[in-house]
Amino acid sequence: MAVKKDYKDQKLAERLRDRKYYIPDSNPEFIKDVEKIGRTAAHMCYQCGTCTGSCPSAPRSSYRIRLFMRKAILGLEEEALTDPDLWLCTTCYSCTDRCPRDLAPTDAIMAMRNLAFKRDIVPRNFLKTAQLIYQSGHGVPNNAANRVAREKLGLEAEPETTHKYPEYLPGIRKIMDHYRLKENADRILAEGE
Amino acid sequence: MAEVKKYEEPRIGVFVCHCGTNIAGSINIKAVQEYAKTLPNVIIADDYQYMCSTPGQNKIAEAIKEQKLTGIVVAACSPRLHEPTFRNATKEGGLNPFRFEMANIREQNSWVHMHQPEEATAKAKDAVRIAVAKASLLEDLIPKSVPVEKTAMVVGAGVGGMQAALDLASAGIKTYLVEKEPTIGGKMSQLDKTFPTLDCSQCILTPKMVDVYRHEGIELLTYTEVEAVEGYIGNFDVTLRKKARGVLTPDEATARGIIGGGCTGCGDCTDVCPVIKPNPFELGMAPRKAIYIYHPQVSPLIYTVDFDACVKCGLCVEACGEERKAIDLDAKDELMNVKVGTVVLALGYDIFPIEKKFEWGYKHYDNVITSLEFERLICASGPTGGHLIRPSDGETPKRIAFVLCAGSRDNTGVGKPYCSRFCCMYSLKHAHQIIEKIPGAIPYIFYMDIRSFGKMYEEFYYRIQDEGAKFIRGRVANILEDPVTKNLHVNAEDTLLGRPIDMEVDLVVLAAAVQPSADTEKTRRLFGVSCSQDGWLLEAHPKLNPCGTTTAGVYLAGVCQGPKDIPDTVAQAEGAASAASIPIHRGEVELEPYFAVCMEDKCAGCGLCVNLCPYQALSLIEKDGRTVMHVTEAKCKGCGTCGGFCPGGAIWMQHFATPQIVAQIDAFLLGGEQ
Repeated sequence: MAVKKDYKDQKLAERLRDRKYYIPDSNPEFIKDVEKIGRTAAHMCYQCGTCTGSCPSAPRSSYRIRLFMRKAILGLEEEALTDPDLWLCTTCYSCTDRCPRDLAPTDAIMAMRNLAFKRDIVPRNFLKTAQLIYQSGHGVPNNAANRVAREKLGLEAEPETTHKYPEYLPGIRKIMDHYRLKENADRILAEGE
Repeated sequence: MAEVKKYEEPRIGVFVCHCGTNIAGSINIKAVQEYAKTLPNVIIADDYQYMCSTPGQNKIAEAIKEQKLTGIVVAACSPRLHEPTFRNATKEGGLNPFRFEMANIREQNSWVHMHQPEEATAKAKDAVRIAVAKASLLEDLIPKSVPVEKTAMVVGAGVGGMQAALDLASAGIKTYLVEKEPTIGGKMSQLDKTFPTLDCSQCILTPKMVDVYRHEGIELLTYTEVEAVEGYIGNFDVTLRKKARGVLTPDEATARGIIGGGCTGCGDCTDVCPVIKPNPFELGMAPRKAIYIYHPQVSPLIYTVDFDACVKCGLCVEACGEERKAIDLDAKDELMNVKVGTVVLALGYDIFPIEKKFEWGYKHYDNVITSLEFERLICASGPTGGHLIRPSDGETPKRIAFVLCAGSRDNTGVGKPYCSRFCCMYSLKHAHQIIEKIPGAIPYIFYMDIRSFGKMYEEFYYRIQDEGAKFIRGRVANILEDPVTKNLHVNAEDTLLGRPIDMEVDLVVLAAAVQPSADTEKTRRLFGVSCSQDGWLLEAHPKLNPCGTTTAGVYLAGVCQGPKDIPDTVAQAEGAASAASIPIHRGEVELEPYFAVCMEDKCAGCGLCVNLCPYQALSLIEKDGRTVMHVTEAKCKGCGTCGGFCPGGAIWMQHFATPQIVAQIDAFLLGGEQ
C-alpha cells in the first residue's frame, strides 16, 4: 500500500504523493475479467508498441493503448478504469490488424469500458449518445443542414435507416432496455447534475 | 526357430521409479507397487527414487540373480530416454536384454495428468499391468550386426556442409559433398562482413572453399540434387541427379577424349552470350548471362549454362574454341548412384518473403530493402562496388532505419513465431558499416529486445551504441512512402518515451525472418527425417543429441535444424561430422532384432506381403520344393505391415508378436482378470 505522510498542506501532500505501485494495490482478477469479456489473450502482450504506433488517436492525445494492456496485465484496475483516456479509442482496429502476438487490443479496451460502465464510470458524451440512439436510432441523428446537403446531391432527405423507417425504433429500444442502457444513462447523467 | 515357442514359468520383477517428484509428485508410487505385487507372475515389486541411477540399475541386476527372474518391467519415463539403460541392467543381471519391457508413466502420464493424482495412479496401474502381460511372454532375441559402408555424404555445401565434409574427409572417410547450386559457399559467400569481429566474409570463407575443392577425400558434386534414397544406416543407397551443366570440367573433357580440354574459367563464353538474366546471387540486382558464374570466387570455377534461358545460338561454343571444347549445349541430366554409410544434412535456409507483411511495403516501395540485399549493396564485390545507394534514385542514404523482428516473433500466422536469432547482431553490424562508410549517416534501429547472447556480442552492442547508432525500442507499425521524394515515414511507438514516432528516413532495411530452404521438405522426406511444427528439421534430442535425428545414420548441421549464426553452425557441423564418423570407424552397426520372421510351414507363398512391404525387405524363394517368403533382415524395420496382413498368420513379428500384443490388450480390457 502507498505510504501516506501527514502533510498539513493538501497541495504539498498531493505533490509529494507516493507514486510507486504496490502489488497489494493490484487486482489479479482484472486481467481475467478483461480476457473473458474481450475474448483475447491480453496477458500475452509483449509491449512492442505496434498498437500505439498504428493508433490514429495516439498522435493527437495522451491515449496509449500499450499502457492499458500493461495495466491490465499488472492488475492496475483502478488506474485503468478511472483513466479518461480509456474513452479515446476510435475502435478502428488497426492495432488488432497488426498485433504480432495476434491479440485484439481494441477488444481489451472495449472490455475495460464494459467494466468501467458497471461502476458508473462513463464520460457524459457517451451517455448522451446512448440517449440519442434511444430516441432516433442514431448516435449522430440527421439534421437540417444534412437534409439540405443530401437533397443537393440528389438523395432523399432521410437515409435508409430508422429516420425513414421509424417503425424499427422499438426493436432498437428493446435491445437497449434489455441491457438497461437508457435507464442507466439517464440515472448517471441525473446524478452528475 | 519361431514356430517352436517354449516358455518357462514366467517370473517377473517390477520396478517403479519416482523420478524425484516428476512421477511421485502426482502418482502414488506405493499404491502402484502394491498393485504390481498382486499381478500374475510378479515375483517382486520394488521402487526407487531414480531407477536410472547406478543403485537403481543394481536393484534390477541383483533381483534377477536372487529371484531367478525371466522378465523385467520398469515403470518410469519414455523408452526413448532410458530403454537402453535398463536393457543394459537386464543384461548385467544375466538375462537377455530383450526380456525387458518399459511402462511409460511419466511423459504419457504424470506430466500430462499433473493435477489428477487419482486418475494418474489408476492409469499407471493399467500401464504396469499391460507391461507385465507382455513381459511374461518375451523371448530371447539376438541383435544382428551389419557392416558399414566406409563413405559419407554431406548434403548442402554452405559453411556448415563444407565444415562437416572437411572434418569427415580429414578423418579418413571418403565424403560426397552434394550442392544444388553451381558453386559451394552458400549464404555466407553473399555476406560482406561478419559480426562481431568484422572480418570479411569472403576472406575467411574462400580458403575453406579451396580446401574443400582440393581435398583428396572429398568428391565435390555441385549442381547436383538428391533424387532418391534407399537403405539404412551403414548402407544408404543414394541416387543423385547431376543437372545438365552444359560445360565440361577438364576431367570430364579428358574422359570424352578431348585432351587438354574442358572449362578453364576464362569467361570468353560469357562475353559473347546475348542472353541477359538477373543474377540470383546478387538477388536480382545485377545481370548475368545465360552462361555464367555467380561471382569471381566460385568453386569449382566452371561455368554453367542456364538451359531455361539459353537460345542455343552457339556463340559460346565458337568462343570456347576447338581446343577446349568445354561447352556441350546438348547436355542432359545424369543420374548416379552412390553408397554411403552415414549422411549429414546441411540444407540451410531462405529469407522469409517479407512482402507478405504488407504494412512494411517491401516490393511496393523502392527504398525498402532486406538485410541480404543490404549485404550485397555494401559489399565491395557487389553490384554497386560497395556504395550503398537508394534503389529509387541512386543517392547515398543518410538516415537509415533498421526494422528488427521483421516477420520473426510473429504469431499472426503470416510471419514466423520463432526468433531468427542472428538478425539483431547483423543489424548492429550494418549500423557499424553505415557509420564507417557514409560520413554523417545515422542508423536508427527499431527493436523489441537486442539479443546479443554470444561471445563478445554484448561488447559489440556496446561498441555500436558508442559509435552513434540510435536505438528506438518499439516494433515498426507501418511504413509510408512520400510519393515525390520516395523517402519513407516509419511509424512506431518509442515505448520507452511512451510516444508515437513518425521518422522520415532515406532507406529502410528489413531484418527479415528466415525459414527452411525450399528443398528442405522434399529432401527430409527422402531421408525419413522428421521436422518440428515450424518446418526446421527435428534433432533426436534438443539438449543431449542436437546433431542426430530419429533416423539412424542421418545427422544435422547448421540452420536447417533451427536458426543459428556462423559460429554455432560450424560448431554443430563439426559435431555432426564427429557423430557421422562413429559408425563408419566402428565398421558395423547393431540393428534392433525386431524383424519379421517367416514361419515357413505355415507360409503358402502367396506373395501378397512382398508388395505391401514399404522397405522392399521381402521376397519369395524356393525352399525344399515350396515357394516361401524370405526376409532380408537388414532391410526390415519391423513395422508389422506384413505380419498384420498375412492371411495365413505365417509371419512372426519379433518382440511384437501376436500373442504378446493380444496379452497386452487382454490385460488392459479385462483389468487383470484372467
